[in-house]
Amino acid sequence: MIESVVIFSILTLALGLVLGYAAIRFKVEGNPLVDQIDAILPQTQCGQCDFPGCRPYAQALAKGEAQINQCPPGGQEGADALAELLDVESLELNAEHGETKPGHVVYVDEKLCIGCTLCIQACPVDAFVGSSKVMTTVIAKECTGCDLCIPVCPVDCIYVKELTPTLGTYVPSLGEIAHG
Amino acid sequence: MARFAFKGGVHIPNPYPVRKSEIKQVPPPEQVVLLLQQRVGGEAKPCVKLGDRVLTGQIIAQTTGKFPTNVHASISGVISAIEKRPIPHPSGIDAMCMVIDSDGKDEWIEIEKCDKEFLNCTPDKVIQRIREAGIVGMGGAGFPTHAKITNAQGAHTLIINATECEPGIMCDDSLMQEYPREIIRGIEVLMHACGAKKVIVAIEDDKPEALNSLLMYNFNNRISIEQIPTKYTSGAEKLLIKALLGIEIQSGAYASDHGILCQNVGTVKAIYDAVIDNKPLISRVVTVTGSAVKSPRNYEARLGTSFAQVVESSEPNNQAHHIRMGGMMMGVDIPNAQYSICKITNCIFVNNKKPQPTVKECIRCSACAPVCPVNLLPQQLYWHSKSENIEKALEYNLTDCIECGCCNYVCPSNIPLSEYFSFAKALERKLTREEQRIDRSRERFEFREYRLERNKKERTEMMAAKKKALKEKMAKDKEKDQEQKDKIAQAMARVEQAKEDKNNA
Repeated sequence: MIESVVIFSILTLALGLVLGYAAIRFKVEGNPLVDQIDAILPQTQCGQCDFPGCRPYAQALAKGEAQINQCPPGGQEGADALAELLDVESLELNAEHGETKPGHVVYVDEKLCIGCTLCIQACPVDAFVGSSKVMTTVIAKECTGCDLCIPVCPVDCIYVKELTPTLGTYVPSLGEIAHG
Repeated sequence: MARFAFKGGVHIPNPYPVRKSEIKQVPPPEQVVLLLQQRVGGEAKPCVKLGDRVLTGQIIAQTTGKFPTNVHASISGVISAIEKRPIPHPSGIDAMCMVIDSDGKDEWIEIEKCDKEFLNCTPDKVIQRIREAGIVGMGGAGFPTHAKITNAQGAHTLIINATECEPGIMCDDSLMQEYPREIIRGIEVLMHACGAKKVIVAIEDDKPEALNSLLMYNFNNRISIEQIPTKYTSGAEKLLIKALLGIEIQSGAYASDHGILCQNVGTVKAIYDAVIDNKPLISRVVTVTGSAVKSPRNYEARLGTSFAQVVESSEPNNQAHHIRMGGMMMGVDIPNAQYSICKITNCIFVNNKKPQPTVKECIRCSACAPVCPVNLLPQQLYWHSKSENIEKALEYNLTDCIECGCCNYVCPSNIPLSEYFSFAKALERKLTREEQRIDRSRERFEFREYRLERNKKERTEMMAAKKKALKEKMAKDKEKDQEQKDKIAQAMARVEQAKEDKNNA
């Protein structure tokens, strides 16, 4: 009897040491859950979720301080994906946070622009080029369509342009293929 | 196995054969609509204005970038519109076109000659000539020919693809019968341009007339003309190379990586026109065929000629038509004949409208697997494409699918398999683009946060440094003040002392 107690004590100790070492050696930096959530979020950085960007929202979600249905640009699909990742019941998008809009970018009517730079400060991804008292414009490629610049413009010269498929970006519809 | 045979593919005899493949010249039309959107390299930028008068052969638009190509006026006349028009594309999206109204003169622009003898020109000059002439792959892929030759410079073997792209198309066959001398000369120009020492011309064995006419004009012992079995998809570049040379080109690699250059016979004729005859690419041979035309025929038409004009010459019947650009396997269905011939229009199918066969469920017969010329498993790809499971479809090598449509042809349930695959490919490209965009937005957002944080920190640091400097300065000033005061006090003391001394004295 005594031998087995000794053997198991030694085994417990040794394995404990291995586990303890592994916990130090293979320590995961940061919170992987936040990264996983952030990967699902659309990175529009629009703040419609009431957090100042996608990553802050991801952090709040990871802490359980936010609901999964607060992201309109992600759409219902995004909410479903979050539900699957977090292993919770999926929720319908909360209309209070706004509605899902089709993909779009903004553009500046440069003739009206007065160079106030308010839009430059509002843009979460630095998609504006301009300076004080000179014309400002949008780098369409970098615009996420968050619309944060629209309300701050004092002369209302920022407009929305919907993204339509081009010859290079066109995707056929499955329904049409199935029904000829 | 027969000589030069390959696995997979289907044998489909020409459904509308003609006794003699001749080329009928279509007179220059009243109006041409020239497509500015190129298959590779984006949209060409116009270099003439609305209302300008242009001459035949004049460059009217150019693309910049990696593979620059030119668009030439195919008739002389006045530019009457530069606008979006419907183009033969499955999406039905309009693209930029340039419209020229003919002045009826067909006046040519003066084009400087390359040299009397092309052999006196350097290969680079010949390639430049080909580039200026706006030549792209005439088989249907539309890849800029000059770029393809440049990539393959120093190639050991040149393969001339004289197999018809798809059953029913006869334009290459007729070209070889009408212009054998020009084609052989064009091959010699190409040999000079790419430096190849050996040439194989591959002709399908159902075109004995074309073979004979080429043999009659071929006096170059480095050019060998070979017959290959008639089987659909033998015209696919990688398959043709494997059948002829036994070299298998891996997924993602190009023929040029193996020192091989492959060119379509129609492209060779265009090269002859450009280098020897000084004519840019302004016309091409188009086959008009199908169940609704009385006389299937080949036409040489100016680029931009409307489909309706060439179809009219083939005497279509009065029933409702179903029109398709390209072959019966890979072509594009279009709603009417109000489209115009572009550089890659090799064929126009005009069929009587009949109800589409009903699509049934997949019965897992796997008839599609043995006909796949690139050894894929179409059935597996079908399930994954249909359920939008792109990751899984990629595991089954979705990107290697050449969308030849052999699987559609043999499917007993009439499932348009290749359409599912082209959908899956487009979706895959879209998802990749989205992902890249999302990553960039995240990066830019995080950098902005970092920048704002850094600015704030720098500001507080700067303020702190200023405060400290001010404090130090004040302390110093105080010290200096004290010193001054001390000095004054000392001086006063000295004066007092002097006064006292004086009084005492």
